[in-house]
Amino acid sequence: MGVIRRLATRAEAPVFPVVGAGGRLRASELALLPGIRLVGTPRAASVLLIIGDLTPALVRPALTVHDQLPSPRATVWWPVGADRGLLQAWPGLVTVEAGDAEGLRRIFAGLVEGRRASDPPLLLDIEPARWRGEGPYGQGGTGMTGGVPFGRPLPGRAPDPDGLELDQLPLHIGPLFPPFPPGLVLDVALQGDVVRQASVGENPFRSWPGGPDPGPLDTGAFVEALTTPTGVAELELSRARHHLRWLADALRVHGLSALATRVARLAATLAPTDGPEVEALVRRLRRSRSLASATAGVGAVDRPAADLPAGPVARAAGAGDDARTDDPAYRALGFEPVVHHGGDARARMHQRLGEAVQSLELAGRAGEAVRAPGPALEGPRGPLRRGRPTPSSALVALVPTALAGSEWGDAITTVVSFDLDMEEAALSEVAGVHS
Amino acid sequence: MAPFAAALAVVLATGVAVLATRWLPTAVPSELTAPERVPFLGGGLPEVHAWSRYHVRYYAMALLFLAFDMEMVFMYPWAVVFVEEGVLALIEMLMFIVILVLGILYAWREGALRWA
Repeated sequence: MGVIRRLATRAEAPVFPVVGAGGRLRASELALLPGIRLVGTPRAASVLLIIGDLTPALVRPALTVHDQLPSPRATVWWPVGADRGLLQAWPGLVTVEAGDAEGLRRIFAGLVEGRRASDPPLLLDIEPARWRGEGPYGQGGTGMTGGVPFGRPLPGRAPDPDGLELDQLPLHIGPLFPPFPPGLVLDVALQGDVVRQASVGENPFRSWPGGPDPGPLDTGAFVEALTTPTGVAELELSRARHHLRWLADALRVHGLSALATRVARLAATLAPTDGPEVEALVRRLRRSRSLASATAGVGAVDRPAADLPAGPVARAAGAGDDARTDDPAYRALGFEPVVHHGGDARARMHQRLGEAVQSLELAGRAGEAVRAPGPALEGPRGPLRRGRPTPSSALVALVPTALAGSEWGDAITTVVSFDLDMEEAALSEVAGVHS
Repeated sequence: MAPFAAALAVVLATGVAVLATRWLPTAVPSELTAPERVPFLGGGLPEVHAWSRYHVRYYAMALLFLAFDMEMVFMYPWAVVFVEEGVLALIEMLMFIVILVLGILYAWREGALRWA
């Protein structure tokens, strides 16, 4: 084995994650694992890592992404929660215990050393839109610019705010687009980099014939607390942890990966005494001018705060509704909801951070206080009420109007700032007992 | 010695570039299947051709840049006669720049410097 190969096996394994049902919490730990580098596109990856179970609607996108990995490539599966067997048919799939970074690295080293054969392409080699070229170089038809090219049809045209008729590119982004929450399919019409129309496509987590079957949801602890007495300290700690995990994802999207990893590490080991550390983080983020210019005024929802679905998004726009205000356990602790103004992506970030700081402070003071089961509980994305729609499904409905007219980069920031969970949105209502 | 070394460096660099362009296509396997060549859209597939005419929104900025670029061209002959003409030349150039700056202020007020 040559020196270069031996050095290459020691490099970090470039991994592209495919997050299936129940895999979201596991996926948030990926950045903390040693020897693994998360990449934003399959073109830069050697290992396709499937976390959790694939639903029927996720199979085709996963196969598409698999074939977009350059050779040598391998597919690894981290099983989490229920396994409904769709992945058993995946050729060459290696099952590794979820969270086992060493197993992933061994497969990567095998690929580099040549001990392990590269995965063959899984989709049929059929050109979806054959280029029927004309002319000596197949450059297209006739006319000044080569005429109308053959192959895929040309995009249609639509008026532009400046009074021009310009091409409008229809695109379906997702459900495996890393900056977006796993499972979000966004159908956008782009003029240049400006989103003219946006709508949310069919939720892949709803594609099981018998209806959605939730894996371990990242807000599962809160759903369980609807029916079982739970310690206030425990609940508030999970809330702070949830917000910090969201922040880590958001910072990674904004290109602040090193800070994102630090925040993810803080979230993983969070204790009620970490309040000062989170406050230091808040001060640091307030000072960051690049973050301010990327989030200030972006994704402001164009409607009164009172009409927004209750939760951190509405509180960031000035509506003070919080299900904890009416909760006797929280009233005993003197709970007052945190409220921000502006209702843009920046306000949402500081809203969540403010709530995280408050949650840690409450968790420190709550002691042994227990919250009795009640009809409503404030989850990290909004109020959870048995038999009522989930907070994520209400937030997904905000996406089309919030994105229309924004630039693509701002559109990503906006989607991230809503903190959606498509698995939660697939559930028609909040279940009484988390299964 | 120095010109010889420079020429050698140019010849060497050209040689490396030619060899690289010959060798790279053989080193990178090109027998990709159709699904392997599809652009990454997060699992989605493109429907329409990527030829798309879009609005060059920076055109106003590009025009302003050209105006000030040409102003620099006028400054070269002005600099040659500046010592002869003295303060008069300075005042004339200031008048010229003021007219251009008024143009910028107008473009700014009209929102031409907004990106999108």
